[in-house]
Formats: sequence, structure tokens, C-alpha cells
Amino acid sequence: MRGKLRGLGLFKEGIMGFIKRDWKPEEADKWTKEDWIAILISPLAYATLMVGLALSLLLLKVGFITLGLGIFLTFILHWVIDPKLRAISEEYEKKQREYLERLEKIVKWRKDE
Amino acid sequence: MINFSLLDWIWLILYLLLMTGCGIIFYRLGKRSEADFFLAGRGLPWWIPGMSVYATHTATDTPMWVSGVIYKYGLRGLWYTFFSAWCAISAFVSARIFRRSLAYSQAEWQSLRYSGLGAELLRGWMSGWGSFLNMFILGWVGMAMGKLCNYLFGWENWVGLVIPSLIVAVYVLSAGYWGVVMADFQQGIIALFVIIFSSLWGMGVAGGPQGIIDKLSKMGELWRINPFHFSGFFTGDFPVAWFLTMIFIAVLGGFGMGTSIDWYAEAQRIQSSRTVRDASYSIWWGTALTLTRNSFWAVAIIAFFVLNPYISDQSKYEMAWYRIAFEHLPAGFVGFLLAGIVAIHFSTISTHLNLGAVYMTRDLYHHYINPNASEKTLVFAGRISTLLLLIGSFIYGTMMEEITKWLIFALWIMGAGMWLPNILQVIWWRFNSWGYLSAWIANLGFSWLVVWVLPSFGIIPELPDYLQFWALMLLTALVYIPVTLLTKPEDMKHLAKYYAMTKPIGFWKPVEREAKRLGLI
Repeated sequence: MRGKLRGLGLFKEGIMGFIKRDWKPEEADKWTKEDWIAILISPLAYATLMVGLALSLLLLKVGFITLGLGIFLTFILHWVIDPKLRAISEEYEKKQREYLERLEKIVKWRKDE
Repeated sequence: MINFSLLDWIWLILYLLLMTGCGIIFYRLGKRSEADFFLAGRGLPWWIPGMSVYATHTATDTPMWVSGVIYKYGLRGLWYTFFSAWCAISAFVSARIFRRSLAYSQAEWQSLRYSGLGAELLRGWMSGWGSFLNMFILGWVGMAMGKLCNYLFGWENWVGLVIPSLIVAVYVLSAGYWGVVMADFQQGIIALFVIIFSSLWGMGVAGGPQGIIDKLSKMGELWRINPFHFSGFFTGDFPVAWFLTMIFIAVLGGFGMGTSIDWYAEAQRIQSSRTVRDASYSIWWGTALTLTRNSFWAVAIIAFFVLNPYISDQSKYEMAWYRIAFEHLPAGFVGFLLAGIVAIHFSTISTHLNLGAVYMTRDLYHHYINPNASEKTLVFAGRISTLLLLIGSFIYGTMMEEITKWLIFALWIMGAGMWLPNILQVIWWRFNSWGYLSAWIANLGFSWLVVWVLPSFGIIPELPDYLQFWALMLLTALVYIPVTLLTKPEDMKHLAKYYAMTKPIGFWKPVEREAKRLGLI
């Protein structure tokens, strides 16, 4: 039992180590492997949710399995990317005002020419 | 013709009052500024624009189109609807980049990404094209409602085109985008409930899940419930080559901006979200809901096939979902179903009225005509633009139905050659405005050649649509890649500012170095 728990701990540590979930804003601004994992999982989640639901409505076993996989992938996707998106959003909120001012200047293009 | 009971009319009238009430409630918020009238002040939590994404992409003609592909191809037809999966990647790539740019529209984004004369030409072209495109969609979707009203009540087509759009105009004119998204939120919930209920009811009428499978088995049509029933690699009506091309276009298109016609409506939802995270989730969940909605429709249409097999007339089997719903729901529920259909129609019309007005107001009026306009003037200009689009859509819808068919085809074809440039402008710093402009022009010419002119003279055979895509993509690249490399790159200072603002993905090393040198990052 203890060996199993230790194994689970190592597994968790491995996953936790591979997927970064504690982001500083300047780190989150860069494109990292977490983004690429989201990019890979996301279309698979869509496909399995769509096909899985249709087949589940026909009460087919393969449908329930596919739908279950879709829900699992959706959960993993959010687990991987959400901490990063939160950090990006917090950092960007601070800069937004400055960028909006620049945007308004660009709108008045005649004046700047 | 469908008979309406008193309860049916009550459902419908209550719903119409609820929708127009939205305009009155959010009138004060909508008139505060241009940002409020077009983006709800950029302060929405993800689930409001997310529901709007779903509601907007559930139009009156959508069940007809889905019915057409599912009735013909069985559950394989679900892959035709998978085009909206561009949001799978876009939610985490281009939506993030676009939200950080803060541009109101795709046309405005062009002047942030590019600089100088090329950027201005692109912005002018895209704003004009965006205004026209929205008017075209309004006329087209409006006519679909006209035909539905003709089927239900025997009214002339123009009645269904004009009356619902006028009701929508009440809340779009008064509250702008605030009215659009808040009404969309209610419309999305109502429409989702109606779709699920009617589809499950239809399945029940056909004998339930097991009954449908048994009947398909007896008919020798069990392949219809296999989403991967391919007809060969290159041959037949559902080849693997088509499937792979579709997955390639849909999924990788998420790296770009404008790779799907739906991008332009989504862009407004992305900008109206309060943070980058909200923007990502709004389009991810809105699309997830859209795709799973298709699953409900699909099984209901399979049920319709069991009840009405082997209809060969496309215009008849395209009504499959409407028919299974209207012909079998009990009295009192038909009005509720119609309220749901009105909901999906309203959400599409309201979106395109407001979105078209963004291009006319922000990109044409504010940018070129009156750069120093006050917020009050801009909101007024927004309302006038909305009105112009409305009138234009009536004229368009009633008089140009045949041309519309050509335009739908032309839009698809134009999308083929522009698919890669729309990605390159996001991921490659060296791609410039002249390359992008030349891609538009070259694609237009090659589309006519490959699709119509050369096959009609027997110079090349008529190609299946997936081969047309690859041909147009390669031919157009032969023009815009040399044009890009033979013209100057965009101004480095301008690019560095864009880089610091949006942090784009891909090949941006020289620009990153410049941004660091200028102390921007």
C-alpha cells in the first residue's frame, strides 16, 4: 500500500514537474510547452465531444467511452492552460490603458501623418 | 402550413417582448461611448460572449445545412460541421494575440500589424469588404427566415425577411453591442433547450435509439451511424483525402486570423471579453457548445431518415430537422419551437447588424472621415450605420437571391487562397502588407481560372473541392511569397511596438531583438 502511494506521489511529482502551474507574469508572456500541449489536446477534445455525444445519444457503448474521453481531455486542457492564462491576464490588465491610448492615436491617422 | 394554438402565440409574443425589452434595459450603457456601443466596454466575463458565439452561429439556415449533410452522409456529415474547430487552436493562439492588440475589428488590426500606405490600403479594403459582407449575410439569412415563414404560415418571402429584422433593429439601434450580447445570452439558452427537446422528441417518434438502429439495420443503412465510414482514399463521396484536408484547414486555421468567415464575428466577442483568459474561454466554450449542438441535430436527422428514407430532392431533405420538430411536437410546444427558431434568427441578425456597423463607424467614419469625433457623435454614427445595413439587407435579400448563391461559392473559394496568408501574417514577421494585398488579388484571379474558366475550356478537369483548395493555396503562394520578399519589410519600430503589445507566436526573433533594444520589453 505504502509502495503504491509512493508511486502515486512520484507520478504526481513527475506530472507537476513537467506541467508548470505556478506562473510569474513575465514567464507567462512567453510561448511555452503548456501552450503547445493545449494546442494539441484542444482539437482532440472537440472531436471526441462531438462524435461521443452523437453516438451516446444512440446509446452505443463506444459513444459513452468517446464522450468520457472528451470530458477528460477538456479537464486536462483547462488544468494545463488555466494558471498560465490567469497570469497573462493579470499582467496585461496593467498595460492595457497605455496600449489603448496608442490605439486611439492610430485611429487619428490624419493628425499623425 | 402549421396550425398555431393560443398557447403557441402566447409563447411567441412573450419571447418577442423579452427580446425588445433588452434594448430598453441596456440603452443607457450602449450610448456611453464607442467602446460600449461596439464592445460592451471590454468588460464581459467569458460566459456572456461565449453564449453569443454559440447563438450567432446557430442561424435559421444552419439546421437546413446540417440536415443536408447528415441526411446525405449520415454521421460522417458531422465532419462538415467540424470547420468551426478552428477555435480549438485559435482560443489559445490568435484570440490571445488579437485580444492583446485591442483592435476593434480585423481591419483595425491590419493597421497595428502593418504600417504606411500598405496598411491604410488594407484597412480601407477590409472595412469596405467587412461592411458589404455583413450586409450580404443579413440579406441571405433574412431570406432563409422568409422561406421558413412561407413554409409555416404561407406568407410572402419578403414578410419574413423584413418584420423579424425590424424587431431586432429596435434593440440593436438602442443598446448596440450591449443589446446584442445580452439578448444573445437569453436566445442561446432558449435555442439550446428547444434544439435538445425537439431532437430527443424526434428520436422518440422514430422508435428511440434502439428502434432507429434496428430500422437502419433492416434497411442495410447501418453505415449511417459510423462517423468514419470512408469511401476510399481518393474515391467516392467521402474520401479520406477530403477528411484530412478538412481537418488540416479547420484545425491549423486557428493559428491565423480570418482563416474562417466566422473569425470576424468572433473577433468582436474576443475584444468584448474583460481579460485575455475570458477571451480564450469565450470562443472555446462557445464553439464546444456549437459542435455538441450539431450532435443533437445529427441524431434527430438520422431519425428523420428512418421515418422518411431516400428523399432525393435536396430542397426537401434540407428541411429534415424542421420537419421532424414541427410535424411531431404536441400542440402548445410548436409556438415554443418557433420562439427558439426566432431566437437563433435574432441572434444572427443582431450580430451582423452591429458588426457591420463597427467597420462603417470605427474603420471608415472614425478613421478616415472624422478622426476627432466625440463619443456622442460616434454612437450616433453607429446607429446610422446600423440603419443603413438594415435597409441594404432588405434590398439585397429581395432582389439578389441568385447572385447570393454565386457569392457564397466565391467566398469559399476566396477563402482557399487566403488561408495561408491569414496564418503567415500572424506567425511571420517578414510577411508584409504588399504580400497580403497581392494574395487577395492573386487569389481572386486564380479562383476564377481554376474553378470556372480552365475547366470550361477543357484545359484542366473539374477538381473536387479539396483539390481546389490545395491548388489555390499553392498558386497564390507563387505570387505573394516573391512579392513579400521583393518588397521592403514593415517598419521595424512599428513592428517592435506591435510585438511588445501582442507577443505573437512564431518567427519574430529580429523584431524581438529590436523591441529589446528600444526598451519596450
